[in-house]
Amino acid sequence: MISIPCSDNVFKSLRERTGPGPWFLEMLRLENIFLRLGNNPLFRNLSVSVPAGGRLLVRGRSGSGKSSLLRLLLGFGRPDQGRVVVMDRVLGLDNVWALRRHMAYVSQDMELGRGRVGDFYREAFAFRANRGMGFRLEETVHLLETFDLDKKVLDQPLEKLSGGERQRVAIILTLLLHRDIYLLDEVTSALDQPLKERVARYFEQEVKATLVVVSHDPVWDVKKFQTLDLEKHGSRA
Amino acid sequence: MEAAPDISVFRLLMGFGLLLVPVVLSQVYRLGLIRRLLVSVGRMTGQLFLVSILLIYLFDWDNAWLNTGWVLVMILFASFSAIHNSSLDFRRFFLPVSLAYVIGAGGVLLFFNAVIVNPDNLFTAQLLVVVGGMLLGNSLNSLIIGISRYYETIRREQNRYLYLISLGAGPGEARRPFFREAVLAALNPFLANMATMGVVFLPGMMTGQILGGASPDTAIKYQVAIMLAIFAAVTLSVTLALLFTSRRSFDGFGVLQEDVFRRKD
Repeated sequence: MISIPCSDNVFKSLRERTGPGPWFLEMLRLENIFLRLGNNPLFRNLSVSVPAGGRLLVRGRSGSGKSSLLRLLLGFGRPDQGRVVVMDRVLGLDNVWALRRHMAYVSQDMELGRGRVGDFYREAFAFRANRGMGFRLEETVHLLETFDLDKKVLDQPLEKLSGGERQRVAIILTLLLHRDIYLLDEVTSALDQPLKERVARYFEQEVKATLVVVSHDPVWDVKKFQTLDLEKHGSRA
Repeated sequence: MEAAPDISVFRLLMGFGLLLVPVVLSQVYRLGLIRRLLVSVGRMTGQLFLVSILLIYLFDWDNAWLNTGWVLVMILFASFSAIHNSSLDFRRFFLPVSLAYVIGAGGVLLFFNAVIVNPDNLFTAQLLVVVGGMLLGNSLNSLIIGISRYYETIRREQNRYLYLISLGAGPGEARRPFFREAVLAALNPFLANMATMGVVFLPGMMTGQILGGASPDTAIKYQVAIMLAIFAAVTLSVTLALLFTSRRSFDGFGVLQEDVFRRKD
């Protein structure tokens, strides 16, 4: 079992944001997970715990199950054995859709479909779960600038964006939604070095939410994360 | 205007002489298509011959029930063919797709006959079977494109689907963009086709009617009407087919079921 320490002010900021309602010491827990992919055992008795505001960096060569780990947390893959616990609730049919609303997931090489960026953003804010949040243009423009995008990008069609632009557009939307848990799967792979830095520093310094970062890119500051090496804790243990 | 003269069997056989062109070219350039060509030409000739016998009888009896029954058989066969030519599982899709096709194409066919043509008898072979066949033949390909595009895109762009769900989309909201793209993919060929019609080629129904002796202005009215009907039938059948199949193709977690796709042996 890996436990990840986190500082008190993270709790404070979380409490300020969520009010006096329920908040959690532990955000994510994988309990004795066994997962097979075909005949290939991927995880054998994998256990991880991430506290609220904690940061986990998942490493391992390709095929070691990095993406499968995130899919388990999102309820998109079911473990053969073991439990996935999100915000004190065992992930199951009755709560999976509600729990996903606390998470944001961004992967590499995001396809976003067609249509203008601004419309894509507005459509996400029109989802039933997001009604009442309101699409805030000011905050959007600020984030676009933070990630080196002109606000004119809002009028551009998604299909005309470069891979790196699309990636940042996808990341920004999740930031606008202020999720409690961010699951990032090699999100910096399509970006050049200065932008990789900017994205990694932003998540490390500005985002107070719980982070699970899957990456083999040295851009992430290992000192700020607890690392989970799947080659040690997975099937090759 | 007079109908074009009949083609005698002897002259049609002379027509087969045209096959010499591809056969010789295939020999010279080793295209390797002779065998497939002969099988395809054989099937076409045989099937059309059999259908012509069937049509002769259908026109002769001209029984409303028989005509309707034959249209249903055509719809079932078209659904069979649509799924067979896609990567989707037959048992899961045959019934819902057939039902969508019966409502979509069948409904539009009745509208075409009743409202646009407005004859004394709706269920004559001439209108029901012939126009029905035309409607089905022209919408089949788009139905295949629409249904397979939807499921294949969700499978291929799984990250995008997951991303939408993590953005707060419910099951229906997460599938909506894929639905939109699938319906557009099914309709796009028609939009392009209708825009060039008459300039680049003379469409089949119009050609047929003019050869049959109708005046060109009657022929174009039928052609415009049938294009509108095909477009409506495709939109309706694809939409219904996706509505009927989509809910059961995902589990409670929103994961696309593996058995949606045909098992690869």
